[in-house]
Amino acid sequence: MASILKVDTLTGVTTAGSISVTGEGNSTTTNLQQGLCKTWVNFTGVSSTASRDSFNVASLTDDGTGQTTIAFTSAMSNVNYTGSWYNNGAASGPALNQFANAFTGGFGARTTANYGVYAYSSVAIDSYWNDSVIHGDLA
Amino acid sequence: MASELRVNTLKDASGNNSIATSVVASGSAKATLFYNQASPTVLDSYNVASVTDVSTGVFDPQYTNNMGSGNYSCSRMGVAVAANLDVVSYAYNKAAGSVRCYNGENNAAIDYTQTDVVVFGDLA
Repeated sequence: MASILKVDTLTGVTTAGSISVTGEGNSTTTNLQQGLCKTWVNFTGVSSTASRDSFNVASLTDDGTGQTTIAFTSAMSNVNYTGSWYNNGAASGPALNQFANAFTGGFGARTTANYGVYAYSSVAIDSYWNDSVIHGDLA
Repeated sequence: MASELRVNTLKDASGNNSIATSVVASGSAKATLFYNQASPTVLDSYNVASVTDVSTGVFDPQYTNNMGSGNYSCSRMGVAVAANLDVVSYAYNKAAGSVRCYNGENNAAIDYTQTDVVVFGDLA
């Protein structure tokens, strides 16, 4: 029978911050809180750094060419969080997002309040497309 | 008391923001790893039992609970220590029990003090 649960907050019974969800194989469980993305952002670094859309992002700071600091709305509990970061290494739209651009980049410093990202395509570059996702423990 | 709730859909109390529990299961990361390969240390992880240090820039996270197959998605990151570096990080040799990860910088393999792995896909 189909069912709908209407609720604003989910909290574990044994441990408030831990709820098990049965995985796709119908046997192994995964942890809801551990598996949830804690932050994501899509932004442009061209002209003026600006978010297109985001979750749990308070602000973006332009720290120089190709360098951006992403600040959390709700802080992480420690600096040992993980995630990913992508930039298209191009100063305009997706038409320039070609294989030959050889765009790379990496994370900069991490704190519980924010983290840095570096965009690179032969040289540091303000990229048009920037995507980042963070996983880890909220404070 | 431990409890189990069987439900197909979650909504907020106003009846909005509907999400199927199948989306919650499929959309959740199945493993995460924040790793120091320079002095091999797991800084933080979820569903990672151990990490095998294979060679410079190459390491294999081993899952606690296996994935259903090798057909999952794995996001990778290295940590640039300066802005103007050519950092390349990727995953390959995906298996149900582990994944091989590589970090390179300026065309050479490198052991980073901070590197990231996030896995999405179906658990076994």
